[in-house]
Amino acid sequence: MSVNPYETKENKLHWLAEVTRRQFIAIIGTLVSLGALLFGGFESLKFLFPNSTSDPPLRFIVPIDPTSVTVDNPYMDYQHRVGIIRDDGGFYCVQLVCTHLGCTPNYYSNCVTNTPVLPATAESHGERTPAERIPNGWICPCHGSRYFIDSTNFYGPAPRPMDWVNIEFTPDKKQFIVDRSNIVVYRNPGQVTPPLWRIDPTTGVWNGKVL
Amino acid sequence: MSSGSYEQNPIKAFASEVWGSVFRHGLPTTDKVAARTALTNFFLHIHPVRVKKSAIRVSYTLCLGGLSFFLFIALTISGLFLMFYYIPSVGQAYQSIKDIQYVATFGLVMRNIHRWAAHAMVITVWLHMARVFYQGAYKPPRQFNWVIGTALLLITLLLSFTGYLLPWDQLAVWAITVGTNLGKYGPIVGPVSRYIMLGGRNVGQSALTRFYVLHVIALPLIGFVLMVIHFWRVRKDGFTGGL
Repeated sequence: MSVNPYETKENKLHWLAEVTRRQFIAIIGTLVSLGALLFGGFESLKFLFPNSTSDPPLRFIVPIDPTSVTVDNPYMDYQHRVGIIRDDGGFYCVQLVCTHLGCTPNYYSNCVTNTPVLPATAESHGERTPAERIPNGWICPCHGSRYFIDSTNFYGPAPRPMDWVNIEFTPDKKQFIVDRSNIVVYRNPGQVTPPLWRIDPTTGVWNGKVL
Repeated sequence: MSSGSYEQNPIKAFASEVWGSVFRHGLPTTDKVAARTALTNFFLHIHPVRVKKSAIRVSYTLCLGGLSFFLFIALTISGLFLMFYYIPSVGQAYQSIKDIQYVATFGLVMRNIHRWAAHAMVITVWLHMARVFYQGAYKPPRQFNWVIGTALLLITLLLSFTGYLLPWDQLAVWAITVGTNLGKYGPIVGPVSRYIMLGGRNVGQSALTRFYVLHVIALPLIGFVLMVIHFWRVRKDGFTGGL
């Protein structure tokens, strides 16, 4: 670069004044290319994130008559991955997502075969009448985790009970509304006491209990 | 290619010219011609002109890298055949696999070639890495090729993983559910990686589409480019064999 004729020893010009036309274009060109690359890269990455998905909705209507769900006949919706259970206290809804690695456990009227579960333990989870000695619940098809009907895990690699999600009646009390985005009972590993959260079997009103 | 026949028989001369334009050298009868053939032929130039006899001892490398590449070629060809029948849609994927097995001529063989070659490739790539590791073949000047090799191992495993979903049977769906949930436990990008892999929260149509595209286009292409660099550097770094 040649010596700037406007520069004196006392009055040094800004370094940008020394930049030649070619250098200026090179700098601007580099900056614009980098900017375009960053913007393009970012937008390309964003393209891979779907703005909408074809997943089933998290809040949905279960189109069954609440009276058809009885103590002996819980309702499983494997598509939406929830189970609606009726017991003496009322209704509750278990989200059928295994706490191990997220498969959908299947419902079995006998979930304790070939497990070392003690009769006393089994009795405290889900057995409702003394006549029914065999507890019902879920078995996960992936790694064999098992859950009692109150979603307490008792066998296999599952670390904690499955979550309960909000359930309510539709205004005409003829169907259920389940909201999987609203987890009402979350239990940590080792927290095995059966929760008391229920909605009333006739009015559909929450009994106000959290666990 | 003697110039004498050029004036005598035009058809023979034409044939000779065509042949000569494709194969620039005759049979490698002398060392000089052999060297020139290796240098000017696309398929031969991947080999060095001269190799030490000790370097091609089979017991040294056990041919594991070559076997992996052979299996990759076998998988590419058999996979191409399978693509003619396979339909990546949740409603039709399983049925199309059944069609391949029971309707297409030798489809069962083709699918099994693909399946068993895939299993074998995972094994040979792992063994190849173990061989390189135990012989210290990752040391200078081959550090970068080791890094490319680990990337190729990762691509092999990802190809295996993505291919697992395509039959869309129970095993496939739950294996990918479990696999992507495992990925969710990764730091920072874990939950994001699951969403981007599945294109949603569950293993559904978007997951099948994504895995299909990754399996048949993206991963093989990246793998091929890395393989080219891998082989190039193997050639340039030379053989140390028979230490």
